[in-house]
Amino acid sequence: MNEPSAIVLVVDDEVQIRRFLRTGFELNGFVVHEAATGAEAIRSATLRPIDIVIADLGLPDMDGAEVVERIRSWSSVPIIVLSVRSSEAQKVHLLELGADDYVVKPFGMAELLARVRVALRRQSRAASGEPIVKVGPLTIDLSARAVMLNGSRLNLTPKEYRLLQVLAQHAGNVVTHQHLLKEVWGSVHVQDTHYLRIFVRKLRQKIEPHPDSPRILVTELGVGYRLAQSGQDGEGATAWTGGASPAKADG
Amino acid sequence: MPNALRLLNVREPWRGLALTFFMVAVMTAAIHVIILSVGLTRGSVLYLIPVLIASIRWGIVAALFAAVCGVIASAFFFFAPRYSFEIRDPQEVINLALYIFTAIVVSQLAGRLKRQLELSRRREIDLAELYAFSRRLAVAFDLSDIHSAIEDHLAAVIQRKVVLFAGAREANASDRHNNGSVPESVQKLVGDVAGGRRDAGAGVTVAGEAGDVWLVRPVAPKSPEFGVIAINFGRESGGNVDEMRARVDTVLVDATATLERLGVAHAISEARMRAQTDQLREALIGSVSHELRTPLASILGAATVLSTAPALRDDKRLQALVHDVRDEAERLNNDIQNLLDATRISSDGVKPHAEWADPADIINSALDRCRRRLSDRRMVLNLPADLPLIHVDPVLVQQALVQIFDNAVKYSPSGSRITLAARARDGRLILSVTDEGAGLTRAEEAQIWSRFVRGERHSATTSGSGLGLWIANAFIATNGGKMHAVSDGPGLGTTVAIELPVTQAAVPQLESDADE
Repeated sequence: MNEPSAIVLVVDDEVQIRRFLRTGFELNGFVVHEAATGAEAIRSATLRPIDIVIADLGLPDMDGAEVVERIRSWSSVPIIVLSVRSSEAQKVHLLELGADDYVVKPFGMAELLARVRVALRRQSRAASGEPIVKVGPLTIDLSARAVMLNGSRLNLTPKEYRLLQVLAQHAGNVVTHQHLLKEVWGSVHVQDTHYLRIFVRKLRQKIEPHPDSPRILVTELGVGYRLAQSGQDGEGATAWTGGASPAKADG
Repeated sequence: MPNALRLLNVREPWRGLALTFFMVAVMTAAIHVIILSVGLTRGSVLYLIPVLIASIRWGIVAALFAAVCGVIASAFFFFAPRYSFEIRDPQEVINLALYIFTAIVVSQLAGRLKRQLELSRRREIDLAELYAFSRRLAVAFDLSDIHSAIEDHLAAVIQRKVVLFAGAREANASDRHNNGSVPESVQKLVGDVAGGRRDAGAGVTVAGEAGDVWLVRPVAPKSPEFGVIAINFGRESGGNVDEMRARVDTVLVDATATLERLGVAHAISEARMRAQTDQLREALIGSVSHELRTPLASILGAATVLSTAPALRDDKRLQALVHDVRDEAERLNNDIQNLLDATRISSDGVKPHAEWADPADIINSALDRCRRRLSDRRMVLNLPADLPLIHVDPVLVQQALVQIFDNAVKYSPSGSRITLAARARDGRLILSVTDEGAGLTRAEEAQIWSRFVRGERHSATTSGSGLGLWIANAFIATNGGKMHAVSDGPGLGTTVAIELPVTQAAVPQLESDADE
């Protein structure tokens, strides 16, 4: 248990969903608060200390996007949204509004827990200023601007490093194409996804043990890229069944 | 066009009179020349020529004018006493009578001829329009096609602004048109007529804004489903309005006959019913999907929580049960997703969000999603490292691949090999999935892409809706690609391939600054 007493705010209008999330989180050592509406969620997030928010998009009183936007306007608490399939544009929009990640409904508890842990870890890393990001055999030292694979230093071009740096800053969370393009190439190139495709290919040749089936720099189809963290071995990051057996995902 | 015609009508008589006068003057000069050179004395009969021309060209007024001018000219120039209007010769009187008689008769004849000509020309236009109208009706796809065909036909034939209101329900609400151009008084009358509150029979006229006269009448009094039309006659006075109403009647009788001949009334009510059914179906599927998927999300989530619960974790039998719950719920979820995809495809089509994508990313993502399903097959990948980027909606292509994997798993034995190969050739990227399963008969090969078709040989042993490959095919087609399925025969495995366009020329190059 990495965060033994982390507090989760679960926002969903379906009582059954809230119930299984509460059980699932409590079994894994979290403290759970519930909210059935957007207004309740915002009130709850203002009144109590919350470590992470899990928000459903279809709320009776307001759009999930609005909840994200309003919480994000004053708080940096990690937010994970529960989205439906076939709406990549919506996912991108939510991420741009400040959601940290999304999980596609229906989902398994293991997958959600993995995402929650990643988001919490990122939050605590950001708070402590920890400059080292480790992804499997890959180590990225953000302060020394150094990248190591199995202990030996890699030779990256400045743009390759910048790409990896932006991903490492959000390690474990998905980063949209638009965000990456803007950060690495500037805002005039936000539509040029082919830049990304070609650079990611080059980067994978250098950092992935098997560039054909990447496990470190993972593609989120139609949305962006994610630097997989332990607990998310890349595989099954989008599929609820995840293949990752719960015990493994807990690791 | 109508305005220009009216303008000409005003000017025409004066122009005719002027030309007539000119002709008489020319004729006078010509007779002078003839008398001087040939020595004729009775040249005045030649004044019949301007009379004839004027009566044919400009009608009776100009003809009478020509006759009078001719008589005056011949009295003045050619009869004794010359250069005086005095008439002594009775021949002169006969001439005048002859000219006038000719003028009247010929101009009457010419006028009748002209009217007949005009009538048959108009008839011909009407017929051509009617023909175009029925051709358009024959290819009309839905209600609004039929209505705009009626409307355009009337507008073309009557040469006035015509607005068709489809029925009682639509008369008050906004129609396909921007109703802003139809005055409120007219809209209200249309509403009354369409709603049966007012019997309009052959039509009611009403004054719109700015002194316009509008005619409102049902297209066909006996068939209300054809709707109600409002025609703007412009600022016409009584006589013209009556004439135009008569014309509208004729045109509508023809149009209604055409509509009835083509069974449009039936088609309209059927189309209306179909639209309602479609709406109902979409609402139903929308709510069914929500109503089914929300509990499914709870079931799946709860099952995954249960499988990690300490009380169950160590009991193999209970674990197996929980896994069954999960697997079955997942299958149900896939079936619902397929139904939703199929509805999306057949109702409003799928709009791809194309971007530059790496085929390897699409393949890996599809493999990830199917990993559990593929776990007891030997997966062989044959992917070159340098596949070209493709401009597609990667999510749709991935979903098509997932459907193909699903099918391959469904129709092949556990432990058999599934090969995924990718190659680029001749401006195409080909992704093929080959299994060692049941294969296809010739008949199956032909109908594999149809909706709700499932192999009859397997219907007892496998489950499914028969939607998978149909959905895959639609997703690939919307990305400009094609799908193929080949098999060496029953029991000899199947290869299903996706073919997507790769236009080398269109693959954008990196700008120099992007490449460091």
